[in-house]
Amino acid sequence: MRKVYGIQVLLLVLATSIPAIAPVWSQEKKPVVIAIPVGLSGVNSVVAPAVVQSAELAADELNAKGGILGRPVKVVPLDDESGPAGAVKAFNTGIHQDKADVIITMETSAARNAGAPIAERAKVPFIYTSFYEGRACGEYLFVNAWVPEQVVPPLIKFMTDEKKVKRWFAVGSDYAFGRGMIEAAKKTIKDMGGTILGEEYQPLQQSDWTAIISKIRAANPDGIIYSTSGGGPNIDFLKQLKAAGLTMPIGSLSIDELTAEAGGNAAEGVYYTGDYFTGIDNPENKRFLDAMKKKFGADLKTPNALSEQEYDGLHAYAMAVEKAGATNSDAVIKVLPSVAFKGPRGSVQMNEQHHAPLPIYLAQVQADGKTKVLKDFGLIDPGDQCPKLK
Amino acid sequence: MYTIELFDVLTTAGVLYIVALGLLVVYGVLKIINLAHGAFLALGSYAAVIATWLGWNPWSALLIALAAGVTVGAVTEWRVLRGLYVRPLDTILATWGLNIIIVQSITLYFGREIQFAESAVTQAVRVGGVTYSLYRLILLLIAVVLGMLVWLVMRRTQMGLVAQAVIMNEELAQALGINTRFVRFATFCLGAGLASLAGALITPLVSVHPNLGVPWLINAFMLVLVAGVSLGHLALAALILGGAQVLVSSYSNSVLGSLTIVILAVIILRFRRITT
Repeated sequence: MRKVYGIQVLLLVLATSIPAIAPVWSQEKKPVVIAIPVGLSGVNSVVAPAVVQSAELAADELNAKGGILGRPVKVVPLDDESGPAGAVKAFNTGIHQDKADVIITMETSAARNAGAPIAERAKVPFIYTSFYEGRACGEYLFVNAWVPEQVVPPLIKFMTDEKKVKRWFAVGSDYAFGRGMIEAAKKTIKDMGGTILGEEYQPLQQSDWTAIISKIRAANPDGIIYSTSGGGPNIDFLKQLKAAGLTMPIGSLSIDELTAEAGGNAAEGVYYTGDYFTGIDNPENKRFLDAMKKKFGADLKTPNALSEQEYDGLHAYAMAVEKAGATNSDAVIKVLPSVAFKGPRGSVQMNEQHHAPLPIYLAQVQADGKTKVLKDFGLIDPGDQCPKLK
Repeated sequence: MYTIELFDVLTTAGVLYIVALGLLVVYGVLKIINLAHGAFLALGSYAAVIATWLGWNPWSALLIALAAGVTVGAVTEWRVLRGLYVRPLDTILATWGLNIIIVQSITLYFGREIQFAESAVTQAVRVGGVTYSLYRLILLLIAVVLGMLVWLVMRRTQMGLVAQAVIMNEELAQALGINTRFVRFATFCLGAGLASLAGALITPLVSVHPNLGVPWLINAFMLVLVAGVSLGHLALAALILGGAQVLVSSYSNSVLGSLTIVILAVIILRFRRITT
């Protein structure tokens, strides 16, 4: 009897205190929470800080304009440890603990494959902002970066037409993405009437390219197309190629601005394509770079082809929510393919297959390692990525 | 006709020899496998980065690397390894821990991204009718010189002779009044210094990042397992295993080639008569 009485008192106390707290809750509008599961540790930790900075700038800009639907924007970076196990934890934390309205992030493919089903089950929109191998589909999964169909053919076409490369040598790192990119390149080369003199793959952990370089020399191709894993292996290969005295035109499917610059003159002359370069000459990119410099000063991580898309992603999501008039997931994913954000890359709008036709640029590494944008190919379509959607 | 293959085999053997030398010296005298060898390689590569930052001649990186390796080696031997010689298995743990400490310290300071280091030599030369990387040929020469230097130290100096005595029979050497403690200390410093030097030497071939030593450590480890404690055997092992790797990679593919060293090492170990 005493016990029951005690519970009743407790309930009474709780019941009287709730109305006292409730007005405090409603005074401040609930923020729109954007979760960013990203590789703060592990292989992606080189690029992850730049991704978070992109998101922070976009959130600042949105908040300065009064937020999304008058609600403040809050970004929550989470560590996915650059892999699937970490991604599962990060997605669950973001969705269930931080109550994320959306997930916008750049991740490894393995991490994305682990995280996407969690977002799908929880019906939380997931905008993936990293270039990747293509054909990842989901009702709630959107991609605003390139797939191989968008960057490989323009590069091969340019080298065939302008550099007169007919006889090719293809080199890759022995892993799924490296082999996938080379497959895409071979297909375009065959379509363009070129021949492939040799095709070689190097194990990921090997940094001595001697044997492959000797094979290239023996084959004496007009040009080389290669795709290693990101970062260091590009420089390993290019340094050794240069030291061996091979000077034919080189097209790269794996180098990026930061790596090229860290390589000094190792990558000099290498051609590559992409959707974002710091050297893109348009007012939006200038404004973006200036704003980044102003906000982060000495702590700025140079914006790059894996981090800029995060900025676009946040803005595109904000436009979709404003258009839908609510953060309700189903309403947002319905209008997401109908909004276009004009950002540093140019105007980007995702399509019914949840991928984006993108402005693609051709660039070349200069003698000091800096990248110069040579040419704008205009909008290039990703092709059939998810025909079953819609 | 086969000039390129010959150069590839010889220079690859040279690079492997340079990289494995420090590991062999430590293993020979101390009877421990220095799992921090890869970290010492990285240390040497970052010495090259620092030389670039300071605007010094790229060759000066070799001296910085040697000094850095010897210093870190000295502190390690003095504070960590000295107490562990009676527990050889624990030295594996200790050196692996040291590997992590060095690599993480480098990461803390420089970050994980790749760094730029100026190379002294980047051009190719025409020799024997083929164009070949001049730096790889220089490395081959350096391998030979380094090998001879270490051999001279071991055979022709008081220090080396004492070290030989320790290698052959440590207890007897101790009984004869040899300060084995100092011999161990000096050897570990030399081994660490050689490892860092090797790191600075391979820098023009690779990109500089904190984990660059890992793939080299594995190959060096295999070579030392096969070679035991002899410098001559190490040169032979580098030539046979490195050569096989190049030839398999050249006539088949690199994926298979990368397995060659490990497979051959296992076969050689299986059929080698136990000597020591």
